[in-house]
Amino acid sequence: MSFNQFILGANYFVLGYFLLINGVYALLYFISFFEIADYTRREIFSGFSELFTSNYAPPVSVVVPAYNEEATIAASVRSFLTLRYPLHEVVVVNDGSRDGTLDVLKREFDLWEYDRPTRLQLQTAPIRGIYASTTERLIVVDKENGGKADALNAGICTAQYPLVCCLDADIILEEDALLKAARPAIEYGDVAAVGGIVRVANGCEVDAGRIVEIKTPRRALPNLQVVEYLRAFLAGRTGWSKINALLIISGAFGLFRKRDLIAAGGYSLGTVGEDMELVTRMHHVLRENNRKYRIVFVPDPVAWTEVPATLRVLRRQRDRWHRGLLDTLVRHRKMLFNPRYGIVGLFAMPYYFLFELLGPVIELLGYIAFVAGLLLGILNARFALAFFLVAVGLGALLSVAAVFLEELRLQRYPSWRDMVKLILYGIAENFGYRQLNTLWRVMAIFSFLRRNTDWGSMERRGFEQAKPPETTPKREYEEVKTSRDSE
Amino acid sequence: MGRPGLIEIAIVVMAGLNVVMILLTVAVKVARSLRESWLKARRSRIESALDDFLLAGEVRPELRRLRARELDVLAATMIEYLTVLRGSERERLLGLAVELGLVKRYAGWLSSQRRWRRARAAENLGYLGGSDSVGGLAKLLSDRDETVRAVAARALARIGTQEAAQALAQTLNDPSDLTRLRVAENLERIGPLAAPSLIDLLSSEERRSPILAARVLGNLRLLEAGPALEAAARTGTNVDLRAQATLALGKTGDPEYVPVLLEAAKDEEWPVRAQAANALRMIGEVSTIPTLKNLMADREWWVRVNAARALANFGAAGERALVDILEGEDRFARERAAATLEAQGITRRMVDDLASPGERGERARHVIRAMVKTGSTRHLRRILNDMPEGDNRRVLKKILAENNEL
Repeated sequence: MSFNQFILGANYFVLGYFLLINGVYALLYFISFFEIADYTRREIFSGFSELFTSNYAPPVSVVVPAYNEEATIAASVRSFLTLRYPLHEVVVVNDGSRDGTLDVLKREFDLWEYDRPTRLQLQTAPIRGIYASTTERLIVVDKENGGKADALNAGICTAQYPLVCCLDADIILEEDALLKAARPAIEYGDVAAVGGIVRVANGCEVDAGRIVEIKTPRRALPNLQVVEYLRAFLAGRTGWSKINALLIISGAFGLFRKRDLIAAGGYSLGTVGEDMELVTRMHHVLRENNRKYRIVFVPDPVAWTEVPATLRVLRRQRDRWHRGLLDTLVRHRKMLFNPRYGIVGLFAMPYYFLFELLGPVIELLGYIAFVAGLLLGILNARFALAFFLVAVGLGALLSVAAVFLEELRLQRYPSWRDMVKLILYGIAENFGYRQLNTLWRVMAIFSFLRRNTDWGSMERRGFEQAKPPETTPKREYEEVKTSRDSE
Repeated sequence: MGRPGLIEIAIVVMAGLNVVMILLTVAVKVARSLRESWLKARRSRIESALDDFLLAGEVRPELRRLRARELDVLAATMIEYLTVLRGSERERLLGLAVELGLVKRYAGWLSSQRRWRRARAAENLGYLGGSDSVGGLAKLLSDRDETVRAVAARALARIGTQEAAQALAQTLNDPSDLTRLRVAENLERIGPLAAPSLIDLLSSEERRSPILAARVLGNLRLLEAGPALEAAARTGTNVDLRAQATLALGKTGDPEYVPVLLEAAKDEEWPVRAQAANALRMIGEVSTIPTLKNLMADREWWVRVNAARALANFGAAGERALVDILEGEDRFARERAAATLEAQGITRRMVDDLASPGERGERARHVIRAMVKTGSTRHLRRILNDMPEGDNRRVLKKILAENNEL
């Protein structure tokens, strides 16, 4: 094969790949459209106020890992304690913080040493002590540092209720988010895990741990991520959930049936994508045990998080997400194209492998082949340009369709200005932002091959409001993963 | 002009699709705004007509000429009124709903092929329908859609007659956990009228419904349910049923059932023993303290916790029992007693009495010494560090020092 033929072949390959991936996206959007419609109609008759006052709803343990959260932990815990739910406890795991996180908790919540036995059914670093509040349903586990997954495992073991909600310490939950997330698990005994939507809090006004005014961010980079999150959560995850092939529940906000979580072995240590790895492992284990189960996504219980506002932090985040994806696929490679794992093995895993993992590589190859083909004169320039326009046009269409879905069903952004902004950013992201993400994700594959297991660090700027801006650099401990299934 | 090329086609198609999507998004927002304005205007007119009806008893002609969509607005407005109205005004409004054909309209919807229409019908009939709607709503309790079943259950609870309760009780075995839960809470809402159906269910062969029935009866705290609950607590084959029935007997607060509870405290299954401790706490009969002291030495942690909580609830007699346990042989029981005294604030109270004269001070010193002997001194040391200088602090320091705990 000559070089010219290779370049031409590469271009045709990219074209075929492009048609296939967009076909899958169209299918997911189609499913999501009807699924969200059904969900919103159901909401009208949900009777949530009755559920809230019910004596019969199963109680939930909210598990919150905390590492050096001295400045914000008291406010966060208070906001979790005041969630609308008939009966819930909050389990904070102090993961060997080097600041005064534990002291703040002791002082603010009047903790005393607790002697309730804890069955350590999952592997964790040594626990130094367990405390309970005399005034609130709050348990604090003090343990040696072992990382986020380790802390979550300790919290899960300590949780006393059958449903466990794992949260990031600095996530902002809407008041009824727990009630809405728990509903599918209450409704059907076979629901093993529930994921909720995570939205971008940058630009919103926050007071006492609650969002009081929803607004789009002022800066461009977070706005691009707002559209990205909408696409990932509303179109992507809703569709995957409908066919019971959801492979990721955000580490920032997920609810699990404790029994199934422990059966799967809890969060895995030594991975940077512990949330995706957990959900994939739950599929793996539950299917191997021939269990009838469902892992679902609900588009309404909302958690808000601050997203990176600088390219440097965003690059690190995307690098870590892609390494996490690759790590999960390597760990569970047995499931890939394996009919034993049903739709997960035959559709979801191949999708993540072919489109999410290799997608950036093929996209980058496409750009190179495109330029090379034009330079060598072996590509029909008009055809190539038409293809480029279609690629960009479809990218914009998918983003605008996500904004449409949001506007049609959920309407979280009430102002016209925000809607127009989101549409414009949905178009703009195809010029530069998308290509940058592609490059970072390709680099992440090399980073993984060099066995890089760093979390990187996350700088948060704080929300607009009463809360003082937070400047302490942290480990990237409380981030959310989304866009690996958005592109 | 020549034929359009690939580039032109790509631009036109992509731009066209994007423009259509943007227009759709804008149209959705515009349509919503218009709909809200329309609803606001209609509601305002309907409210004014309803106010006239309630004040003057006159039905404005416009209420009789409402179109189909407006009838739904009328129903929603009437429901809002009904949530605040009582007595004759309420009856008149319900009569108007029948007169204007609302009840007939929604009764017809109950058999609609569209599930949201069935749900809407059930929801509205719960407010507007009255006892005549029970039959239709009861049929929806076996609807294929979970939401419709739940709405029907809620509607029957609102109607609240014995027939409604009977229909609801039959669905306590629904395959959906959420429906069962909702049926249970709706039966609780109906109150004593639901008792006969629930009592019947206690002896049902089904697995789930007797447990939920016992739970609802417990929450209703009905003395009349006592004999049936007693039978379930004594002879139930299911552990959860025996546990729930035992707890429900406690919730009745009737000391007549103490013998049953003492028997349950010896059950071989720990959930029953744990609930027996809770139930004894609720009845509060001092004669049960020895049994609770025995439960403090149970091999199951939850039984010990519940027994300790129960003793702490018995006032001075319970405190004495906890102190006795502090001086006993069983290490687990001692630790649990110390933890309970600490958690209930009794330890702190005793520390504040350490230097008091007479029996009060003597008793406080006795309790604190017993606590120190169990090794539960961390809390005492913390109290010592936080308390101001004074006689109480001096005595506490002395007791701790005597036992080398400083």
